[in-house]
Amino acid sequence: MMIKAIFYKEWIKTRWYWLLALLLSIGFAGYAMLRVARVYSMKGAEHLWIVMIQRDAIFVDLLQFVPLFVGLALALVQFVPEMHHKSFKLTLHLPIRATRAVTAMLSFGSVLLIATFALSLALMWGYLQSVLAPELWQHIILSTLPWYLAGLAAYLLTAWISLEPTWKHRVINGVIALLLLRIYFMSPAPESYNSFLPLLAVVTLSYSLLSMLSLTRFRDGRQD
Amino acid sequence: MIRTCKIFFGCLIVLLLLWQIPSIYNFFAVKPTDTPFTLYSSVVGKFAVLQHGEDKKMTYKDHTGGEYTEDQFDSILPTFYYRQLITDGRFPDSICGRAVTPRDVQISNFNMRISPLDLNAPKIGVQQLLESMSGRVDLTLPDDVFRITDSGIEFVKMATNEIDDRKSDRFTEMMLSKGFVFPAYRMSGNPTDRKEYDEGYVMLDANRKLFHIKQTVGRAYVRAIELPKDLVVEHLFITEFPSRKWLCFMTDVEGNFWVVERDSYAIKRTEIPQFNPEAESMLIIGNMFDWTVRVNRANEQCYYAINADDYTLIDSLTYSTPNKTMPGLKFTTTKDKFVKPRFVN
Repeated sequence: MMIKAIFYKEWIKTRWYWLLALLLSIGFAGYAMLRVARVYSMKGAEHLWIVMIQRDAIFVDLLQFVPLFVGLALALVQFVPEMHHKSFKLTLHLPIRATRAVTAMLSFGSVLLIATFALSLALMWGYLQSVLAPELWQHIILSTLPWYLAGLAAYLLTAWISLEPTWKHRVINGVIALLLLRIYFMSPAPESYNSFLPLLAVVTLSYSLLSMLSLTRFRDGRQD
Repeated sequence: MIRTCKIFFGCLIVLLLLWQIPSIYNFFAVKPTDTPFTLYSSVVGKFAVLQHGEDKKMTYKDHTGGEYTEDQFDSILPTFYYRQLITDGRFPDSICGRAVTPRDVQISNFNMRISPLDLNAPKIGVQQLLESMSGRVDLTLPDDVFRITDSGIEFVKMATNEIDDRKSDRFTEMMLSKGFVFPAYRMSGNPTDRKEYDEGYVMLDANRKLFHIKQTVGRAYVRAIELPKDLVVEHLFITEFPSRKWLCFMTDVEGNFWVVERDSYAIKRTEIPQFNPEAESMLIIGNMFDWTVRVNRANEQCYYAINADDYTLIDSLTYSTPNKTMPGLKFTTTKDKFVKPRFVN
């Protein structure tokens, strides 16, 4: 019951931003597909396929940092006002373990983000599979997965920084977060992350553990 | 719970330090080893070495210390500097006792690069098979692509994204009739229209038997190539050089380097010492007399001079290129195009 209430609270906090994020995410994915459709109608399917096979083009490069900013902004919208207005303390006084409450908050945000990204991927798949061979649309979709994982990582790491009570640690955590986010953008080569993706997904989800450290420091009363 | 979080955080910090400290050190402290430009000269029977001297001027030497002027250097490498020699009116009638024309030199010269970056890279599962005998001078790209499956070869029409069953069946039947066992273990081709002629693909089938496959007048040309006994081929490199002398180069599981001659399909072993294309890069600068083969190994750069007629080793030269980088965690290397964590020495 209490978890449901937390979910409702998070929904109230984030619903307008989520609508914006959804429009932004789908808008960029749709624009990338429009560009593919334009190449298809202007120069024909042959040109599209050959450019992909011979030049390793994937046509969706403009999406690279979109999930990152969507995830980062969701964490800011969800956690910064609560920390700023000191209302996070109230959440910790709810009749539920603090770690469970924070886990519920992070789960809500993660599911919202995954749903947003899944809709973008579904939109891309819906169009691409109609004009490209499976090898080619899989090539595009697999190449974008590290970017979407980066979006989830940006959300969880920003949540960790936002929940941290002192500025000194926020800066240190920020540097660590930047280095961790760099891992998702190490190579522009399509499909270069394929064998690393399962491990990267597990590590990304594990970043939710870091928020518990900030929570502990918050409960211990650490202040600047 | 908190203990788990602290352990996870500690592990992340350790990994970040293992990654960042070596990479910062290597960026600022390690300078790449500079090795001189080296080519074998059949005229003097030595490696010719071109490098910057201490006063930043170019020096022209051979590997035994003999010094040359720039003009002499052009003359001892006549197949490499043939355009300069023609311009100066110094192109010889014969080289090493063999009558030559600039056209002979131009046709027989070739460069070939083999890099682990090309082998250890993600591959798209579809390729193009050009028409090798269109009757036109210029090659044109086909309107379909093919994929090799567990049971055959499938051609897909690009315009409709549909499988061309008739063509697929025709090629599959021809390949099966020649003894090809699907799927292919390896294949090498150069599907571009920016070349003089097309030899299609060389493929190793599931049993590592070698085949030459191309499309001639819309039909499948499939040729099984007899391999010497006990030769287990690992990698294939189609050549398509202007001389049309070779079909492809190959390496076997023991690191030997082989050539397949184009007209006779004869397979000959070269005396290039062991080479692993998955870890080492190779550059071959060939001419009608010799090949200069450069192999970049872990701590040395090796040059081999190979006789262009019988592929015997004429001479070799090694430059030490000690690896001074600090070992550490890396996500990318110069040996492949994959991103994954690995500890690199």
